Amino acid sequence: MSSYIAAGLFAGLIYSMVALGYTLVYGVLRLINFAHSEVLMSGGFAGYFFLHYFMKSNNEPTGTRVLLLIGALVASGAAGAVVAMLVERFAYRPLRRRNAPKLTYLISAIGASYFLLNFAGKEFGRNPISPPSPISATLQWNILGTQVSLFDVVLLIVTLVLFFGVNVLVNKSKVGRSIRAVAQDQETATLMGVNVNSTIAATFAIGGFMGGIAGLFVGMSSVVDYNMGFTPALLAFTAAVLGGIGNIRGAMVGGVVLGICMYVPIYWIGQPYYEPVIGFSILVLVLLVKPTGLFGESLGRSA
Amino acid sequence: MSVDEPRRTHFNKEDVRLAATCVASGLLLAVMTGPAGNPESPLEAARLSLFTGHVWGFLLFGIVVAVISVFRRKVRNGEWQSSRAVPRRSMKAYFGDFLASMSTSWWVAFFALAVLLALAIADFTGPYVPGKLSFVQLFTQLHDTRTYGYIGFLWWIINSIRLRRSVHARHGVLPGFMKTPVFRILASAFGGFIFAFCADPWLPERFSFSYFKFGGGSTTAFLSHLPTWLWTACGLLLGVRAVLGERNKTVHANRLRARQFAVSSNTSIALYGIGLFAAFEAPKFLSPFWQEAIFQQIGIFCFLAIGLNIVVGFAGLLDLGYVAFYAIGAYVNAYFSGALPIQPPFILNPFLSIPVAILVAMTAGVLLGLPTLRLRGDYLAIVTLGFGEIVYVLANNLQNLTGGAGGSGVIGNFSINVPLVHLSLNGQALGQDLDFYYLLLAFMIPILILFTSLNNSKVGRSWAAIREDEVAAASLGINGLKYKVMAFAIGASTSGVAGVLSSVKQGILFPSNFALQVSITVLVLVIFGGMGSITGVLIGSAVIGWLLQFLLFHSFIDYQDADKYMYIGALLILTMIFRPQGIWPAKRRAREFHDAEIGLGTADAVGEPAEGPLA
Repeated sequence: MSSYIAAGLFAGLIYSMVALGYTLVYGVLRLINFAHSEVLMSGGFAGYFFLHYFMKSNNEPTGTRVLLLIGALVASGAAGAVVAMLVERFAYRPLRRRNAPKLTYLISAIGASYFLLNFAGKEFGRNPISPPSPISATLQWNILGTQVSLFDVVLLIVTLVLFFGVNVLVNKSKVGRSIRAVAQDQETATLMGVNVNSTIAATFAIGGFMGGIAGLFVGMSSVVDYNMGFTPALLAFTAAVLGGIGNIRGAMVGGVVLGICMYVPIYWIGQPYYEPVIGFSILVLVLLVKPTGLFGESLGRSA
Repeated sequence: MSVDEPRRTHFNKEDVRLAATCVASGLLLAVMTGPAGNPESPLEAARLSLFTGHVWGFLLFGIVVAVISVFRRKVRNGEWQSSRAVPRRSMKAYFGDFLASMSTSWWVAFFALAVLLALAIADFTGPYVPGKLSFVQLFTQLHDTRTYGYIGFLWWIINSIRLRRSVHARHGVLPGFMKTPVFRILASAFGGFIFAFCADPWLPERFSFSYFKFGGGSTTAFLSHLPTWLWTACGLLLGVRAVLGERNKTVHANRLRARQFAVSSNTSIALYGIGLFAAFEAPKFLSPFWQEAIFQQIGIFCFLAIGLNIVVGFAGLLDLGYVAFYAIGAYVNAYFSGALPIQPPFILNPFLSIPVAILVAMTAGVLLGLPTLRLRGDYLAIVTLGFGEIVYVLANNLQNLTGGAGGSGVIGNFSINVPLVHLSLNGQALGQDLDFYYLLLAFMIPILILFTSLNNSKVGRSWAAIREDEVAAASLGINGLKYKVMAFAIGASTSGVAGVLSSVKQGILFPSNFALQVSITVLVLVIFGGMGSITGVLIGSAVIGWLLQFLLFHSFIDYQDADKYMYIGALLILTMIFRPQGIWPAKRRAREFHDAEIGLGTADAVGEPAEGPLA
């Protein structure tokens, strides 16, 4: 049982990283970014290519491993950020310039998602690949009757650091202030001298960076393929709604709560592939009972 | 610089950016159509597409598009003046001399231009040639009669543009007979004939000249091949339309001004009659391949698209899990045929399981829609996306219920066995594709009539009101939730019926038939055709259905069936950017989009409901 809770917790960390991308974009544009799953996928591929080229063998010394991990994190985060910004530039900005209705954004984002998904499938093949992992799989500790691997510890540290960073970035920095301003009122923000376009691009980039890194972890824990983003992204959206979409802390907590709520029932069912079914039921339940989520919806409003 | 002179400005940053985007799109297209890659050497595929003979056509295409779009941008911004914007007198000054100087050398130049364009098009659409990546192979591929068809076609177009220009410049350049309606209609029909020569996907013999003959009843000869005459007829119709359109120009202009778009009822009845006749007769002349495609790939997709049109087009919602209801219909039918591992209490003929499927799909739609539609409309999109995935996962994994990934048992036949009518349609039997097609028509036509009248009824007007301004609609006493759930449930049940029809044809159900991609494909049919316009949706389904089959023939290098979703995704983005109302828009919907862009109303029901965001 406790191992299921731990598994849920660590899966939840990945969801919370992805959920952040949904939350930021939602807070600023009031839109669900359907192409976010492909941000995750591109991060997974970038990390895989980095490790494929630079990791020569499975028994590198520890220092090299740490460098490789940091390099892979940067590569996948950068790829995620670039893809997110490209999506913003080509699927959203032409519509925004024209003040198009909301439905067109959703459709265009779905199109972008499908294009990227199958473009990756064409360019990189459609078979799943297992990327080499610089994190030793043999190191494990027994904490409270659960096996915690080094992978989980790295995931925890990276997530905490990134969330801390994003929190500081959004609440303290100049970019963060303009993001909050645009989230509150685009027109007024423009009048105050905020460059709305570049602020929105920055929002996508921040969310994309986190999404790309989440993609690296998804890839290292299972496989990298063109379709890898879909289920985690759907669950991450659930996490974002659960925590209160538009709320950064909500995304973090929502991801973890969702992960635990999903894995504990599997303890009784015993079939791991029902994971998305449970996650989806949680989404419908949240929408029924408390659509504002655990923390309420806000970006720049109260946070 | 005086004001009267056309201002000739330099290219600014925006122009360069636009041109770069166009050229980059051409290169992207080259990569998209290039060879497939593998994860071991990720950049190899891009290298093979960009640094071989493959790229030239696409590069040329990108440059042509760049020139055209920069020109249009300049004209739109008033920096340049197009010939149309130039006042009559000065246009004579500009183009009169220009055209007068146009001699044989210009014709040759135009011919060269046509050749270049034709080579580009032939390169895009060319069939698979092994080793196309070398120049020799490229030219081998281009050296076939199809390319000459393209050359002729483009030359004809360019010259007619030139002639048009010269008519504007100096009346009397054209011989009088060329301006007569009869000549123009005939010329248009000839254009269609030439196009058939270019675009006909079916003829393996086309690479030799012997194929221009009546083949003594053989369906593979160009001149006795139905599509040839269909294309010719299309050209004929276009010509007639152009001639009539010119004649009615003032009438049309007045109608446009008054925003009255009504076609006279005689015309529309005649058009429906022609459409119905074509729908009945044309499939009989198709090749067996297309007879199968017309049911499974085009007919069922038309059916699905009409249902999704209710949700996306009429109610302005976004449903991404549409295939779930299709799966539900199919599995209900399978259950009552006894094809699933669990046995039903009684076996039902598929005809009788249709009402059950409608009921089940509608219930599922209401159960899913009621909690979700109370919230923001965009939540519906993601909830349906999730629902589609759940149904897929369950169909795959519930071995005891659906048979799992290995497929279900064999589904029963459609059969009627009453006095005078004996019918049995078996999905597994060969040569019954057309019977299924006619069965589909028998379902489709009443549904079309029903949905059209629904759109013109109180319900349809309520949908329009909710789309355009939900708060205003609520203030008039329209219950937004009720009508949205109604639209969602009607769409779901249509999808369920389509599931029953298609499941009998498929015979055995595999969960992979109900993956998310189907939802997206149906969405693109609706969006491309024109959301909210039933005619548009049908046209869109036919065009895209044909195109996807066509791609299988004119396959690019390493073209796989899954690649089509790449083109579909790109098409969705492009439609949304350049023409959100679709190719054959519903007039009201097109106006809504335009109004929404200038700040009037919303054109969709995706925003917050009138009762407040979280009521």
